Amino acid sequence: MTIKLNIHKTHRQYTDGLETLDVAGSTIGACIDELIHRFPAMKDALFDGKEKLKNQIEIYLNMESAYPDELKKKVTAGDEIYITVMLTGG
Amino acid sequence: MKPKLCAEELERYDRQIYIQDIGPAGQEKLKKAKIFICGVGGLGSPAAIYLAAAGIGEITLVDYDEVVRSNLNRQVLHHEADIGRRKVYSAKEKLSKLNAHVVVTTGCDAVTAQNAKRLVSGHDVIIDALDNPETRYILNKAALDLGIVFIHGAVNGFEGRIMTVIPGKSTCLRCLYRGPVISTPKFPVIGVAPAVIGVLQATEAIKYILGIGELLTDRLLTYDGLKLKWREFKVRKNPKCDHCGRMQEGRQS
Repeated sequence: MTIKLNIHKTHRQYTDGLETLDVAGSTIGACIDELIHRFPAMKDALFDGKEKLKNQIEIYLNMESAYPDELKKKVTAGDEIYITVMLTGG
Repeated sequence: MKPKLCAEELERYDRQIYIQDIGPAGQEKLKKAKIFICGVGGLGSPAAIYLAAAGIGEITLVDYDEVVRSNLNRQVLHHEADIGRRKVYSAKEKLSKLNAHVVVTTGCDAVTAQNAKRLVSGHDVIIDALDNPETRYILNKAALDLGIVFIHGAVNGFEGRIMTVIPGKSTCLRCLYRGPVISTPKFPVIGVAPAVIGVLQATEAIKYILGIGELLTDRLLTYDGLKLKWREFKVRKNPKCDHCGRMQEGRQS
């Protein structure tokens, strides 16, 4: 069961420059667990000290916002996840 | 009362009046419109330039900053000679030279929860050209409270994003809120990124005023200039949103 994860540019420094990777999991959270297993620095990039997604992180599943309770959202083979970052500059 | 276009204006706007969706009646709508631009920096500069060129009747510029040299890579309304001047005065001078038919009003206020509604009241559209999330949310709330269309834009590096909010109808900026985001005063950016997004914000404002096309509502459009890729993410109105959750549909068209 392959899920495609898209990594935002600001996080590619933690994924050896990888822009996308295929992971397995039944929820977005499980897919992110695999991402962190392969690239441990992604944990601090995505989560605060209380295991909560950082406020500026946005997750989209199949081009739709996964908010709220993003990590619990179910995924199936062929799904695509985007992990992006809120932009604030002007 | 419909504002009448003078002969000079009819000549100036000839090519856009020639667009079937605009015509003389559309141009009069633009002349009657009043747009609030919050932030006269990377996003606000291109948005203001193209809104003034299009013949928006009244543009209000609000920004408390002064021009510094490091603004000049992207804030194209400001020139070297403007360093040290208030951005709003620098911008007003250029916009008035570009189009003397546009009334440009300025304010040097920092937008706060206390003054936001007073500042934006009476405008048809708010352009969010700010550089920090805290003030964006204040502006979002004021827009919702007063039923004013809010056009959000933001940039970083070569990237940008935009979304239009119709109060009471579409997803607002706060609907995806998870908690405060601390912004750093210095963010990386090259001028072409806010140029793209600022012009899109102006496009949305013009479409809304004219009542044509499809607005970018319930859709977050993201732009990656390095790959020259656009992505459109569907977003949904959050019934529990602390800014718009209790608003009824149809309050504002």
